[in-house]
Order: sequence, then C-alpha cells, then structure tokens
Amino acid sequence: MEATFWILSIITVLGALFAVTLRNLVHCVLSLILFFLGIAGHYFLLRADFLGAVQILIYIGAVAVLMLFAIMLTRHVTGDEGAREVLGGKWWTGMGTAIIIAGLLWAVIRKDQLANVLPTGGVQTSVVAIGKALVADWVVPFEAMAVLLTAALIGAVVIALEEIIRRR
Amino acid sequence: MDHSEYLQQLAWQQWLIPFFPLVAAAIQSLLKRPARKPSAALTIVAMGLSCILALRAFFATLGSGEHHEVERAIFNFTWFKFGTTSLELGFILDPLTAGMAAMVAFVGFWIFVNATGYMADDENFTRFFCFLSLFAASMLGLVISNNLLLLFMCWELVGLCSYLLIGFWYFKPSAAAAMKKAFITTRIGDVGFLLGIVMLYWKTGTLNLYTHDALHPGALEQASALVLRNGWWGLSAASTIAFLVFIGAMGKSAQFPLHVWLPDAMEGPTPVSALIHAATMVAAGVFMVGRMYPLFIAEPGSWVPDFVMWIGCITAVFSATIAVAQFDIKRVLAYSTCSQLGYMVMALGAGSLVAGQFHLLTHAFFKALLFLGSGCVIIGTHHEQDMRKMGGLRKYMPITFVCYVIGMLALSGFPLTAGFFSKDEILLATFHRNKWAWGLGTFAAFLTAFYMTRQIFMVFFGQWRGGDDDHGHGHEHHEPHEVPWNMWLPIAVLSVFALFMGWLGTPWFGGNLFHHYLAPEEVASEHSDMVLWLSVGVGLLGIILGWLIYGRKTMVHATDEDPLATALGGLFTFLNRKWYIDELYEATVFRFTATCAMFFRLVVDKLVVDGCLHLIAKVARGISQIFRWVGDEFFINGGFDAGCEGVELGGEELSKLQDGRVQNYFRVLSLGAAVLLLIYFFT
Amino acid sequence: MNIPLSDYLMLSAFLFAIGLCGALSRKNAIIVLIGIEIMFNAAILNLIVFWHYKYFAVPTAYMFAIFAIAIAAAESAVGLALVIAVYRYYKSVDVDEMTSLKG
Repeated sequence: MEATFWILSIITVLGALFAVTLRNLVHCVLSLILFFLGIAGHYFLLRADFLGAVQILIYIGAVAVLMLFAIMLTRHVTGDEGAREVLGGKWWTGMGTAIIIAGLLWAVIRKDQLANVLPTGGVQTSVVAIGKALVADWVVPFEAMAVLLTAALIGAVVIALEEIIRRR
Repeated sequence: MDHSEYLQQLAWQQWLIPFFPLVAAAIQSLLKRPARKPSAALTIVAMGLSCILALRAFFATLGSGEHHEVERAIFNFTWFKFGTTSLELGFILDPLTAGMAAMVAFVGFWIFVNATGYMADDENFTRFFCFLSLFAASMLGLVISNNLLLLFMCWELVGLCSYLLIGFWYFKPSAAAAMKKAFITTRIGDVGFLLGIVMLYWKTGTLNLYTHDALHPGALEQASALVLRNGWWGLSAASTIAFLVFIGAMGKSAQFPLHVWLPDAMEGPTPVSALIHAATMVAAGVFMVGRMYPLFIAEPGSWVPDFVMWIGCITAVFSATIAVAQFDIKRVLAYSTCSQLGYMVMALGAGSLVAGQFHLLTHAFFKALLFLGSGCVIIGTHHEQDMRKMGGLRKYMPITFVCYVIGMLALSGFPLTAGFFSKDEILLATFHRNKWAWGLGTFAAFLTAFYMTRQIFMVFFGQWRGGDDDHGHGHEHHEPHEVPWNMWLPIAVLSVFALFMGWLGTPWFGGNLFHHYLAPEEVASEHSDMVLWLSVGVGLLGIILGWLIYGRKTMVHATDEDPLATALGGLFTFLNRKWYIDELYEATVFRFTATCAMFFRLVVDKLVVDGCLHLIAKVARGISQIFRWVGDEFFINGGFDAGCEGVELGGEELSKLQDGRVQNYFRVLSLGAAVLLLIYFFT
Repeated sequence: MNIPLSDYLMLSAFLFAIGLCGALSRKNAIIVLIGIEIMFNAAILNLIVFWHYKYFAVPTAYMFAIFAIAIAAAESAVGLALVIAVYRYYKSVDVDEMTSLKG
C-alpha cells in the first residue's frame, strides 16, 4: 500500500509543481488536472470514495474546464505570452514565504508525537449515509450552499456579462 | 544764668545769623522785576538783623579769655540718620567764630548800603541783591559751622555765589570767561579739601570739629591722637589732613599757583569785589586754616607749617611785584588783596594764629574801604577804571579822597593805623621762624607802600586826564563828581575802623587784647625792636619813593608813559603781564588738558568705547545670527523640514504598500501568517 | 495502510507551500487562481487525512470537505469571471498592471 501512496504523492506533487511553474498556461491547466487526479486518488486511498468522485466531477470536470475557457478568453492578441517574463515583481518575497512555511510545517510535523499515529479501522461511510446526513443533520449548510452557488452563478454571469451589454 | 549757659544758648541760636539773609534771598528770587526799593530794603534789613545778632554773640564771647583757655559753646544735631551712622551738623560759638561773624556781618552791611548806590542804574538790581543775600547767608553759615560737612557745603555755596556775582554781567565775554576761571580754579583746590575731609572722617570717624564729649570726641579734639597715626609722604595723619585742607585754602584764598582767578574776578561789580574778593570769601580760606589749626600744629616736626609759610610768602611778594605795574584801579587792589592774603597765610605757617587772624580782620576793613572807595571813584568818573585816565580827583571827590588815603595808609602799614599793628605781628612771628621769609615779607611791605602811593598819586593828584580823548569829545565828557551819601557813608564808617582797630592788637595798654581774646594758649612772639623799626622804615621808604616817582611830576596826559615803565623797561612789561603766568598755564595745563580731552575723545571715546560698543553690537548680532542659523534655520526649520520630509518619504514608501497590486497584499498576508506560525509553534 | 499520519501531513503541507509559491510569485492572474486552487485542495486533503486517521466514525469532517469543495468551485468560477472582466478593461491579465486600487 505504501507504494500507492508514494506514486500518488509523486503525481500530485509533480502536478502541482508544473501547474505553477510552466510557461504555457494551457500546459499549466493540464498539469493542474493531473494534480486533481492525484488528489482524487488520495481520497480513494483514504476511503473517502464519494469525495474522490466529487473531486473528479467538480474539479476536473468544471473548474479546470472553466480555467481553460478563461485562458482562451484572455489570450493576448499579440500572441503567446510564454516568451515574456513569467515571474511578477518581488517574486522572491513569495518564494521565501512559502519556503518558510514549508520549513516550519516540516519541522513541526517531524517533531510532533501525534503525527506518528497509524490509522484506525472503521466502518466506511456509505453514500446513502451521506445523503441522509445532508438532509437531516446538515440541512442548513446544505441549503446555504445552494444559495451560495446560486449567488455565485448569478454573480459570475453579471460580472462577465456587463461588457456585452455595454457594447450593444 | 551763668556765662557758659548763656553762651550755650547763643550757640543754639547761631543759625539765626545766616537765616535772615537766606530768607531775604529766597523772597527776592520770587519778586517781580524790577523791584528796587523792596529788594534793597529786604537785603539791608536782613543783613542788619544778622549784624545785630553777630555783635551780640561777639560781645558774649568777650569775657572768655580770662581763664587762659578759650571758651567754646557748641550745638551739634543730627541731620539725617541712615542705618547706625548719622550725618550731623553743628554750630559753634567761640572767639574765632564770633569775631569773624561780626566782621562779615558788619562790613557786609556797609557794603550792601554802598551797593544800593553803585548799582542804582543797573537793570538787574534785584538779581544782584538776591545773590548778595545768598552769599551773605552762605558766608555766615561757613563761619558758624562746627561741622566739616556744613562748612564744605557753605564753602561750595560761597564759591557758587562768587561765580554768579563775578559773571553778573554775563553778556560781557570777559566776565563770562572770568566766572568760569574762578569757579574752576577754586575747584582744583576743593579737590584737596575734600580729600582732607574724607581722610579726617576716615581717621577720626566724625565730621564734627568739637563735641565736648569724651566718649565721642570731635575731629579737632582728636588732634593729638591723629599725630600718632600714619598719613602720607612720611607725615602723620594730622599733618596730611592739614596739608590737604590747605590746598583748598590755596584755591579759595588765591595763593600761588592758584591765584590766577582773583584778578579776573574784578570783572564783577565793585561791591562784589569789595565783599567777596577782599573781605570775606577769600578770607574764608584763611579762616578755615584757623579753624583747623590744631591739626596744623599737632605734629612738631612736620614740614606742613613751613610749606604754608613759604606759599604765603611767595604769594605776598609775587603779587606785590605785579601790583606795581597795573593800570586798572581794581587790578591793583586785587593783587594787593592777593599779597595780603599771602601775609595771613604766612603768619599761620609761621605758627601764629593770632597774627594771621588779626590781619584778616583789619585787612577786611581797610580793603573793603579801598574797594568801596574805588567804586566811588568809578561811579564818580562815570565808569572809568583806567588810572591813566584819572587824576586830580581830590578836588572833585574830597570825601572819597580822605577815606581812600586812610585806607592806603592802613594798607601800607603806616604807623598807628590798623594795618601797621597787624602787619607788624606777622613779620615778628615770621622773623622768629625763618629769616629769609621775613626778609621777603619786609620787601613785600615795601612794595605795598610803593604801589599804593603810586595809585594815590595817579588817581587823586595832578590834573584830570579823563577829558583827553583821541576822539576829542573832551568838553562833552562830564567832570567827575562826588558820590551820593549812600556811597560815601559806608567808607567813612570803615575808615574809622581802619584807623583805630589796630589798638586791639597792641602790646601796650596792658597786653595784647586780641591775643588774649582769640588764643590765649598761644605763646606770644618775642618782641623785637629791630623788626618793628625795619617794618616802619620800609613802609615810609615805599611812600617816599612813590612820591618821588609819581608825586613830584604827575602824569599830564592819559597817554603818557608811566615813569616806572621807562625806568624798568622790559621788567615793567613782565610785571604788567603778571609774569606771564596765565600764558604759561595756557601753554601747559590747558594745552595738556585739551590734549587729554582730545585724546579721550578720539581714542578712548571713539576707538575704545565706540569700538567696544560696536564690538558688543557685532557680537550680539553674530550670536543672534548663530542662533538663527543653528537654532532656527538648522534645528527648528531644518528639523521641521526634515521631519516633514521624513513624513513625506515615509508616506511615499508606505504608500507603496498600497500600490493596488493585490498580489503584493497577498504576499504580505502570507508573511504575516508565517510569522504567526513561527510564534505559535515556537513559544 | 500503514502510512503514518505525519507523511500525509507533510504532503499536504508541501502542496500548500507549492500553491502559495505559485500564487505569490507568478505574474499571470490565472496562475494565481490555479495556485489558490492547489492550496484549497491541499487543505481539504489535510482535513480528510485527519478524518481518516482519527474520526473515521463521525462524518463531520466528510461533510465539511464536501461543502468546502463546493465553495471552492463557486469561488473559482467567480474569480475567473472577474479575471475576464478585468481582462476587458486592462487588456491583459498581468497582476502588476492592475493598480487601480492604488493609494
């Protein structure tokens, strides 16, 4: 089992890494998809099946596609921006901060006794149970989520739409 | 009440003697001009009252010499206190004061009467009498004073009055110059006087002369103690003080070399010359030495009395030689006064207070007589003062002539006149002290007789030369006339005294009355026949010589040469020009003072004082500049500006945080989160 | 599976760091959003990991994760719409040029 973990981890990390470092935006998004796949795999490994499925559906199916659309809509007329400078001003601040955080967390995790816990067994949560929980215990967040999604939808449309109306 | 109590009471009342003239002066200063009759009346009445009071005091002191010790009544009072010390003033009634006060008041009274005639047609009549009253008040105050402070104040007041009266006709430039000269020259003497007073106060702790109090003795009562204390120039304190005080006397009594003001003082009206510059003020110096006499004779071996004597002797001879060659009637008398003052001082130096004082009193009478007589002559010849333009006046002014001759005889020391006795006393005292001084004194006596005879013959004998004028206004010139009664009465009265006063000082009639009266403790000089006959002889010799040169062949015209001038030639001019002393002073002292003043003006004032001022101003300005620069510009302005700039820059830099770039905000956020994590994990 | 918790935690930490790096360093706004997505996923992974190791019986964390994913999706949608809108105005997706919030 450990091998699975390590392979998945490698895929995930590489995916994330390439997602932020590649020049070509489309390549970045593709790498992101790989990353999402890796994460989904991790979810399956952690016996959160439903979540893995949701991950694939939503993230890869919707978010990544959306990003591709956005890339396509925001391309410069003049051409591929890959030739230009990739990094923003004062990029080293960011890099430094990230490294600091990584280092911190690594140092802490390594030291912490709690971290050496091994997994416990248990009954796997079924989808039925999740569905039941959603409309029973978690109905309020569920409805709120619905409202949120509606708002986000309308909002996104409004933001992206205005320009067209103005043009007319 | 007994005698001493009576004297004490009179001593307390001494202040009334100068009081009346002072009140008269005060009232007159407020009168509207012209107010001749009230002004004259006020002055003469006041002086009359003073005279009566002074004579009363004088008679009260007459019996004092009986016990071979002088009786003194004093009255001291506090003027004002400050802290523990106080300033005191005091009056004294003793023979010296009483005699002097009586003389001043009496002679003054007659001079005032004469002045009403002399100043009859002057516009400033009231002012004149006001000043005269003030002078009388201050002179009398000086005489009755027992306190050096009061004496000095009156001394200065007397000097002031002299200044005002000499320059009475101030619109004449010569008068204006003379008044300044008098004041300044006497001032020089006053410096010494003041030093003496200060030293006396310092050494004795009091300014009162006599206190009759054993616990707080007066300054003169401490004379023997002062001999033991040290002064300057190797003298004791007593002699040093005496010397300094004598310098004041030298100024006031016109001794050589401070005599130069006295002849010029003749610019004033003749009554002024009579009163101030013959009888009283110039005698104040001699009187003051007499007052302080215990200090002079305290130290046996000091050179101060000899110094005094020689100064007097030199002055006597020096002035007499000049008097011989003068043509102004008043100038001759002025130099004569100077010479006689020299005699008095010489007597004091020789150790005889009695002789000096006696001569002072007799001289006052006959010199006042002579001056008033010359005043009558001047008025009678319609304001003519040059003797060459007079002559034969005995025909026109007989009364004046007689009185004047009496005065001249008294001055010359003609036997049995007052002057004879007093001058003889002086020569006797000097003879016993120093033969050379005596010899010079005798020579001066000879000259005195000579020049007075010369004057008599030039003025009263021969023919009237006043009519010869180059302008030929001869017949229009009025002939001289006799003066009115208010002018000849005083000189008649005074001539009586000039004749008979001497009897007070004769050794005949049972001992020298004056000696007993004034200073019975003084040892009388040993009588010497040689001195007596010699002084008689030289007096007669002078008169004869005068007659020979001036009497036998009188001057015919005003422009005739003086016979003596032809005889002596250049020497005559030298004497006429007063030995060129004035020119000498001009060339040395004045030039020196003027150079010093110029030096001080240019160097000290301009360079040093102005320079310092400018320097201080520059420094102040520089400092303020520095403050402006460093403080204001640099620190305050600069600081402020820098602060503002800092805020600006800071703001600029800080505003970069708000650059609108969201990614930057995010970066900061993450950094903050990292720091929080750090803190959370490691604390 | 005998993978210690710490390994998983380190993984998610590492992923988070990578996401952060990308979000802070890259010029392109879309990459920034990508980075944010990565961070999100790392966090949710972390949540699930803890659920798996300690709270397997209780579905609270599971629910949480579901909602989180939903929110993340909504957020990315709105974000991209914004990017498009901004692109219309600035004619670029360079974050350095978007300075109208300045001052």
